Amino acid sequence: MTDSQLPRYEIFIVERPGRPPTYAGSVHASDDELALLNARDVFARRPDCHGLWAIRAESISSRTAEETLSQAEETDPARREPYLVFGKLGHKGVHTFLGAVEAAGPDEAVGRGRALYRQGVVLWWVAPERCRVASAAEDAGPMFEPAKGKPFRDQAFYPVETLMRQLRRARNHKQERS
Amino acid sequence: MNDEMRRAAAAYVLSLGDDEMILSHRDSEWTGHAPILEEDIAFANIALDEMGHALLWYRLHAELVGEDPEAHPDRLVYRRKAAEFRNTPLVEGPKGDWARSILRQFLFDSAELVRLAELSRSAHAPLAAVARKILTEERYHDRHTRAWVRRLGLGTDESRRRMQRALEELWPLVPDLMGQRPEEALLVAAGICPPADVVQESWEADVIPTVQAAGLRVPTESVPSGFNRFHHTPDLDELLAELQSVARLEPSEAVW
Repeated sequence: MTDSQLPRYEIFIVERPGRPPTYAGSVHASDDELALLNARDVFARRPDCHGLWAIRAESISSRTAEETLSQAEETDPARREPYLVFGKLGHKGVHTFLGAVEAAGPDEAVGRGRALYRQGVVLWWVAPERCRVASAAEDAGPMFEPAKGKPFRDQAFYPVETLMRQLRRARNHKQERS
Repeated sequence: MNDEMRRAAAAYVLSLGDDEMILSHRDSEWTGHAPILEEDIAFANIALDEMGHALLWYRLHAELVGEDPEAHPDRLVYRRKAAEFRNTPLVEGPKGDWARSILRQFLFDSAELVRLAELSRSAHAPLAAVARKILTEERYHDRHTRAWVRRLGLGTDESRRRMQRALEELWPLVPDLMGQRPEEALLVAAGICPPADVVQESWEADVIPTVQAAGLRVPTESVPSGFNRFHHTPDLDELLAELQSVARLEPSEAVW
């Protein structure tokens, strides 16, 4: 059987202005535009969101802290391009954008990231910057504005179950009497 | 605002609310059944947004007819018969396949965008305020459904065939979506709502090229459906039978 799933994208979300994008989860989408639209629906409908990044999962290279110690590093200057570096800070942390480096490949990007950015990263993710799609500033209105002022409500907020019980009781009572 | 104008504005606002409410219910039928999980969530979001818009219009209606803004919307949704609903038949038909639901949502959202932009400058300030509030969400719906129209139209042979069929089935319902409502002449003269032909003109200038760019043929002749905001298809009866079934269990008015 062939895999009928659409490509997977990893989604990063800017929760507060000026904060680095952090990992929110995955969506499937046929292309970049729909990945951002789907990400908005799945991750940014209620909480505050000020920006979204989507990166095709296959463009992301992952290295554990241990792996970075033994990896050979590519250094071909002709192949250098900007890479985005994300680090998972601690086992319970989420991947957070740390910054960009110039590298000829993922191993070099991780190596440079490790030299530049903070300690305590247990899992590195790097991806060429060209593989990232970001929500445009002018999209912030239609994409994120509607979520503002809408509280998240637990199902217990709505008295539907209690109400249904009352209705059922009233109906049973009526049937007993007739 | 005199009584006659107030009645006209109430009728207009009721039709806006009913369009949103009935479409919301049809959209909600996709919950758990959409082609992919992400789209399931997206379409459920759209359904919820439309229900929220209906609530805003119904509260404005309550204000215009002097009813309680909390109890009135429930009464409108749960206690009216099909013949009392003023929605356009486009929104009441079955959800059909994904192509049909996407295309219907696109035809509706794109029309809403034009209408709401005009209404946000309405001479009746409370109406303008509701229109502005809804407009932000409709812009997002429009972007989402427009993206899908393009992808399905330019997708596989099957997706194009289904989109073309949906277009041919839904097109005869467009004249009523766009058409002038009986109360409109009075409201237009007072600057409360835009003339129907202004809305239709901007809508066509946007939608026809969009549909054609998606590789679809806009039907040149289509027989008007014969249904309108006052004469509904049997689909609305069937929809209300389900929508109102729980409320009907309890004849007195429960608070939801």
